Amino acid sequence: MAMSRQVLARREVWAIIGAGVLIPIVFSIPATEVSISKGVQAVYDKVESIPPGGSLLLSFDFDPASKPELEPMGRALARHAFKRGVRVVAMGLWITGTSMAEAIVRESASEFGKVPTRDYTFLGWKPGGYLVIVEMGQDLRKTFPADFNRNPTVGMPVLDGLDSLRDFDYVVSIAAGDPGVEKWVIFGRQKHGFALGGGCTGVIQPGLYPYLQTGQLDGLIPKIRGAAEYELLLRRGHGIPEGLASAGMLSMSFAQLALVGLIVLGNVLHWRSGKGTGR
Amino acid sequence: MSAEVVWTWVAAGLTLSMFSFLYRDNPFFKLGEHLYVGVTVGYMLTVTWFEYLHPKLWLPLVVGTETGHDWSLLVPAFFGLLVLTRFVPSLAWLSRWSFALLVGFGAGVSIPRYISSNILSQVEGTVVPLWAGHWGAAVTTGVILVGVISTLVYFFFSVEHRGAIRVVSRVGVYFLMVSFGASFGATVMGRNALLFGRFYDLVDFAGARYYHATLVLLAVMVVSLAVWARWAGRGGGSEAPQA
Repeated sequence: MAMSRQVLARREVWAIIGAGVLIPIVFSIPATEVSISKGVQAVYDKVESIPPGGSLLLSFDFDPASKPELEPMGRALARHAFKRGVRVVAMGLWITGTSMAEAIVRESASEFGKVPTRDYTFLGWKPGGYLVIVEMGQDLRKTFPADFNRNPTVGMPVLDGLDSLRDFDYVVSIAAGDPGVEKWVIFGRQKHGFALGGGCTGVIQPGLYPYLQTGQLDGLIPKIRGAAEYELLLRRGHGIPEGLASAGMLSMSFAQLALVGLIVLGNVLHWRSGKGTGR
Repeated sequence: MSAEVVWTWVAAGLTLSMFSFLYRDNPFFKLGEHLYVGVTVGYMLTVTWFEYLHPKLWLPLVVGTETGHDWSLLVPAFFGLLVLTRFVPSLAWLSRWSFALLVGFGAGVSIPRYISSNILSQVEGTVVPLWAGHWGAAVTTGVILVGVISTLVYFFFSVEHRGAIRVVSRVGVYFLMVSFGASFGATVMGRNALLFGRFYDLVDFAGARYYHATLVLLAVMVVSLAVWARWAGRGGGSEAPQA
């Protein structure tokens, strides 16, 4: 009987959170504008400061399991760079996310009429995890002799003047775990001193704040909320329509309210049952 | 029907199969679960050969490149093979050579970088002037200072936690609790974002563009599960129905 009640309670919790997430999607209810956090503003300002023709390295360090949280920020960053005429060099440290990352960059580039190998390139994935970062700090072309589409990186126009990580105007790692932002800080920025920003899932967000606090990261886009903030900045600054992250903000708010309500309810029920009062 | 539509049906079907666990363990969930395990193993085997062994070892060592055969690769190949001696108990000690190499290299590369980033830079970021021109920054700096010191004291086990030490270490516990709470909250919201992503796709797949994949598959699944539950309830299934 107790088991039945637990199962029922679990299903009720699921039903409440599921309804909270689903209803705004089904009825396309628009969310109110989010406020912009300092970390997101810092990444936006840094990309904004790259001169046209400058370079942005985007490392997609996640796989499809984290797509809803991280794809919107990857898309937003790529759009921002393409809109400003910044050269985009993309790559990934997670092999399971390679095709997804390539699609994000290719689709974002085609929106702005950008040409592969001239305006952008996707270098793909290399085995080695953090050692790829170490090697890229020494010689970019040796690490990636060819890009994802097997175009040789020697003589590739988009890589003109980019021989190692130090040559990039800005590097952003969008990560769901390890290897990810932390490894870029430790084995990349600390050694080579380039400007580094990050994007991350909610799971790893608290662990990255010490790097933000100490200036080892100059900006951080945390979870889907951070992506929505970046999309808002893009609409305000460049008129680029908001994407998936902004569409999800109301669902997130409903789910969050439902959770808070359920936690309060659970505590009240626990207290009324006598367990919380020691009776 | 285009390939995109076919794969959309597969994606919608598998998502619904995994969600069906909310009802109870059932054949749809098991199908999705086993498919996931099988695909993952196949994928990793393929990646290991095509991304590691073939381009990094087989081609330069056995086939050869325009610069000839890279015989130096025999050394890492030899140490790589030694790891496999773990499967032969009498020879398992040989694998220690490979692990010694791995540990030595890993420690050599990592320790200086971790000390620089996770200790020196963190200390530098903590030991800053308390007054930086305005009260907001001063409060933040003060909270960081108290949090770092009290948490360090909590993990300092060389003295008994009594008196003032106990008070400070209790403060450290509260900081740890706040940290765990923040991590848990962020994790839960991250999971909600994943739920949003799947729901968003399912709603998209329910449209006419994909021949109402979500709705059709959901209906098929509900009917099938009802039949299965009835059949299993009569003792036809391998497992008894649960509440």
